[in-house]
Amino acid sequence: MGPSLQANEWVDKYGDILYNYTLKRVSDKGLAEDIVQDTFLSAWKSRETYKSDASEKTWLFAICKNKIIDHYRKKSTSNVQYAEIDTTSHFFDEAEHWTREDQPNEWGINYHQPVETKEFYGILDYCKKKLQELQHSVFVMKYMDDLSAEEICKVLNISSSNYWVLIHRAKLQLRKCLELNWINS
Amino acid sequence: MSLLNISCKQATYLISKKEQRKIGLFDRLTLRLHLGICSLCRRFEKQTGFIIKQAKHTHTEEKLSEEVKEKIVGSISKL
Repeated sequence: MGPSLQANEWVDKYGDILYNYTLKRVSDKGLAEDIVQDTFLSAWKSRETYKSDASEKTWLFAICKNKIIDHYRKKSTSNVQYAEIDTTSHFFDEAEHWTREDQPNEWGINYHQPVETKEFYGILDYCKKKLQELQHSVFVMKYMDDLSAEEICKVLNISSSNYWVLIHRAKLQLRKCLELNWINS
Repeated sequence: MSLLNISCKQATYLISKKEQRKIGLFDRLTLRLHLGICSLCRRFEKQTGFIIKQAKHTHTEEKLSEEVKEKIVGSISKL
């Protein structure tokens, strides 16, 4: 098989699934496209050394996963100062109690029952993308990819207390955003 | 007693630590006391627990445009 034919076949077979995987983990489409392209380029360069004990798909996903983490790492060094800006201060009053405006309201759903509607996926995705970049990175690595807190701190070059603050703020905002756009809509 | 009293802000912070099993004995106690009297924080714990469980289950069906696919194949052939 000629090289360009093989490249074509690869991109046809794996392009869309890698793209969807990436799109869920970064904040915009252009960026996701770049990461997918990078993934194919790196894979192509190392295809000679690739050993077939893992499937081709698993191998491509591993490369893609690393590219996404590289992206988080690069972003974090330029974004560290944003970790200090608190966009959640309005959730609590001076005594650190919930404000009436932002307190959790009853959702009237069964919290143990997964929701599997397209509408919900779309809203959750929208809310994730509204998070600050670092909050978003931490949330994805922790709750979508199961990285440990220690690994995440290392990738983003943040302290453990920074990590907990980011997790806390991400959850406050996601909860509020879902209540506004999903429950109350 | 005031040593055992924590605010909602502190409680929600500790809820994340508890969820990731990184909470100490003392914090666990103060959180339990707080949750015993605060329905808003109990709700927060339930709702964020739900969000975390859902995080892995989003599903998108986007496609790379033919243009982008061609661009990728093109850049591979230039290697």
